[in-house]
Amino acid sequence: MFDVPTSMISPLERKLLRDLGKMKGQVFAVSLVMACGLAMMIMTRSLIMTLETTRSTYYQKYAMADIFATLKRAPLSVADQLATLPGVATVETRVAVDVTLDLPDLSAPATGHIISLPEDGGPQKLNRLFLRTGRFPNSDERREVVLGESFANANGLQTGDSLVAVINGRRETLKICGIGLSPEYVFEARAGETLPDHKRFSVIWMNYRALAVAYNLDGAFNDVLIDLAPGASPEPVIQEMDRLLAPYGAGGAFLRKEQASAQRLDDELRVLHALSVAYPLVFLSVAAFMVNAVLARIVRLQREQIAQMKALGYSSWQVGGHYMKYVLVIGVLGTLIGGIGGRLLGAVLVDMYTLFFRFPSLVFKMDYGALGLALFVSLGASVLGVLTVVWQAVKLPPAEAMRPEPPADFKPSLLERIGLTRFFSPVFRMALRNIERRPWQAVFTSSGLALATGLMVLPGAMADSIDYLLTFQWNSQQRQDVAVFLSEPGSGRGFHDLEHLPGVIRAEPIRSVQARLIFGHRHRKLSVTGIAPGANLNRLLDDKSHPIAMPEEGLLMSAMLAKVLGASIGDEVEVEVLEGRRPILSIPICGLVTDFAGVAAYMDISALRRSLKEGDTVNGAYLALDHKRWDEFMRSLKDTPRAAVVMVKQDQLSAFRETTGKSIGILRKLYFVLATIVAFGVVYNSARIALSERSRELATLRVVGFSLAEVRGVLVGELAILVLLALPFGLLFGRGLALFIMSSFSTETVRLPIVINSSTYSVAILVVLTAAGLSFALVSRMIAKLDMVGVLKARD
Amino acid sequence: MNAATYPPPISRGVVFQARGVRKVYHTGELDVVALHGVNIDLNAGELVCLLGASGSGKSTLLNILGGLDVPTSGELIYKGWPLDGSDENTLTLFRRNCVGFVFQFYNLIPSLTARENVALITSISRDPMTPEEALEMVGLGARMDHFPSELSGGEQQRVAIARAIAKRPEVLLCDEPTGALDVTTGITVLEAVERINRELGTLTVIITHNAVMAEMADRVLYLSDGKIVNTRHNEIRLPASQLKW
Repeated sequence: MFDVPTSMISPLERKLLRDLGKMKGQVFAVSLVMACGLAMMIMTRSLIMTLETTRSTYYQKYAMADIFATLKRAPLSVADQLATLPGVATVETRVAVDVTLDLPDLSAPATGHIISLPEDGGPQKLNRLFLRTGRFPNSDERREVVLGESFANANGLQTGDSLVAVINGRRETLKICGIGLSPEYVFEARAGETLPDHKRFSVIWMNYRALAVAYNLDGAFNDVLIDLAPGASPEPVIQEMDRLLAPYGAGGAFLRKEQASAQRLDDELRVLHALSVAYPLVFLSVAAFMVNAVLARIVRLQREQIAQMKALGYSSWQVGGHYMKYVLVIGVLGTLIGGIGGRLLGAVLVDMYTLFFRFPSLVFKMDYGALGLALFVSLGASVLGVLTVVWQAVKLPPAEAMRPEPPADFKPSLLERIGLTRFFSPVFRMALRNIERRPWQAVFTSSGLALATGLMVLPGAMADSIDYLLTFQWNSQQRQDVAVFLSEPGSGRGFHDLEHLPGVIRAEPIRSVQARLIFGHRHRKLSVTGIAPGANLNRLLDDKSHPIAMPEEGLLMSAMLAKVLGASIGDEVEVEVLEGRRPILSIPICGLVTDFAGVAAYMDISALRRSLKEGDTVNGAYLALDHKRWDEFMRSLKDTPRAAVVMVKQDQLSAFRETTGKSIGILRKLYFVLATIVAFGVVYNSARIALSERSRELATLRVVGFSLAEVRGVLVGELAILVLLALPFGLLFGRGLALFIMSSFSTETVRLPIVINSSTYSVAILVVLTAAGLSFALVSRMIAKLDMVGVLKARD
Repeated sequence: MNAATYPPPISRGVVFQARGVRKVYHTGELDVVALHGVNIDLNAGELVCLLGASGSGKSTLLNILGGLDVPTSGELIYKGWPLDGSDENTLTLFRRNCVGFVFQFYNLIPSLTARENVALITSISRDPMTPEEALEMVGLGARMDHFPSELSGGEQQRVAIARAIAKRPEVLLCDEPTGALDVTTGITVLEAVERINRELGTLTVIITHNAVMAEMADRVLYLSDGKIVNTRHNEIRLPASQLKW
């Protein structure tokens, strides 16, 4: 492996290569641990770069808007007023509506979000459509549409096919003339949804006139996009827009970073950022510990060689440099393996993002800067770790170094000094005294082992958390089968219709209203959902999974929302309703709800209606169904024109498993494999070092008649003490690391509950013990091959 | 007490019987013959010196006698028990119960005190003396609780001897036991070996470069080129205390 037959290299370098060749197992183990950390760092940094550059190119090339607003209805002339606002460069008005799609292969109705193309038939100025196949609708065609790519793929639809949509109560057959995607829908999901459901949600683009006429919006718009002039500040523009659009039922303009798809992409990048530093850093620390241990051992064993080199006239710098090259070789090897590994893993993992995110193309880009940085960091840490060792070696005068080292200085161990001697066998005493004599070496070895143990906790914790989330969200919290939302809020009759659909066993009404919740200088725009007291289908639970009773007055809100607003129970929040008569209410927070996707606020439905000064209005219902009548229910629902959005719990669960569940599953497996490699590498390295440092003792024991098994016991005993010491610290550290990393995953859109089951700790222990067992077995084979006489006749 | 007044060895029974013992080492493409068919009988209670230049085969012979190595061919009988062709476990048991070793470098376990180093052996032997007795025999009764780092070279070597004889071995094998010591200390160590040989009747084989040391032996075997080329019987064994070099 290291035998390079060349006369170009100096004798010292040849010595280096041969020394490394002799210990190739260890060199490989250390390089591999380093490579794991580097691969992970390079992979995540490259994925970040890939997503960021792809996003920025896409946003730029397809003119992603800076500011978004939706409203009820405004005449097109308002657009001209918007265009004159200072800071506004481009305005694009649209009609955007949610419709029900009826696909013959789908039992439940799907949702289509139809966006109009420019009314003048010209090209889009903002949020431009990327056509994957086909063409834009002909300007005089009422029924031609461009269909979102994910939905088309999920349902096997192609250009030339048609699909049925219920547009303002009328069934229309739409003809697909193109398949496309838009920077506005990189993350393609229903408003407020944190999971994509490509089978049942699509964005659709069609000509303005056909859509506007159907919704009585001809000559008007209900959705507007703004592009800011370079250097313009968004806040004054938003203020002016809100002032201008308020009479037209606008729900408040918002920035790109608050736009659902952009926000989800930001959140994903935040997760990657969280993973790209802390976790790989632990790997690299382990590698630095290992390099230190290996080099300290080489230097100790080569004490005489160092003296001879100096006696021959090599300077301390040359000798020091020679030993530093060991570190460099390990570092370069680790970086090579890590770089290649990171690149391969990244290229595979980038495909995972196509589960969530749609770009015209998503091609993995290697972050070479990260590679350089990673090499610099890992080598820097390793070199720092071994500086002392090398310095001590080279500062010895040659004559002194050539004399054999005096016997190591020992004293009774602490446990013996406090009087426990009689309980210990000589072999156990050897182990204890060895540990106590070089406490730092023991601390380093144990720290490496503890870090390796800790690394095992995160993958398990991820799995535990997903399991908990599935049970919590889909068993304890959501007990409905279906949630149906109406296209417009309506009277109690709408609820009555839903309640009496075939197969409905239980129905609970929903009245939700768009509002801005303000506390101090912080605010969030979201739906406040009114639910019936004693509602049992969509239950609100606290952090211990216990149901929270709905107060007669007051708000319940996601704990995350309270955190974002900086509010707590008892605080009064300003609720600025963005619909109807737009009242501004002051409502106290009465409880915090535990949930893991998005943020939400809830009120008693009657209290909410009273605040809005309305009767028994509803805009949806949670329904529990008789599963035997499922198809019958869905058929009827498809014929209910006012049902605009249907969310089937089972489908959401599948979507979760297919997307978040799958991506976390992939990461979890990857981390598990890497952590296992580290555990094995660390234990093996420690065992090899112990063997090489103590070969004389072990050979002595063999010579005086100890059996192979007894000699193994001596070596294993000491390592076992270190492993056992490391385990509890490792588990504690792992818990801390998992908590730290997983809480940095937590965003407003998606959170993971932090759950670590005892089985995760057991697995971590089991893997480390197995790694220890295998390493001991390998080292035991080496003990059997010890040259007893050779070792004993050699000078120390 | 002078040499003439020494009592005869306790027993003259044959301990080792070697017939045509050959040892060949395969190193790369080269076969190195270390022993060329050695024939020898070693008796209980004897003190035998092996003399010879480097590479003459002394150490190889000692290692084979001590069960650290096996002959390539030939016959080696220990008290009627064939050692040639024995497996690893048998050789371990042989070393554990029958042989004590002393090397040039003392090979003590640095993390154990003198007493504990000896106890390491007594804990696995069939009929050992106590560590204290063994250390008394080598004159280290007062230094039993010292770690190797607290002992002089001679003292460390005497601990090594105590460790070797604590199991009451039939055979004590010493490979250059004074090689790393000055004259005075070396003589102290040889006195300890001599005392063990005399009082316990242990067959003692000493490898040395030092011809003077041969004066304390019953028999001196000269090795050259893997063969015993000469044998000398000393009519009078000089006490170690009278040796000078």
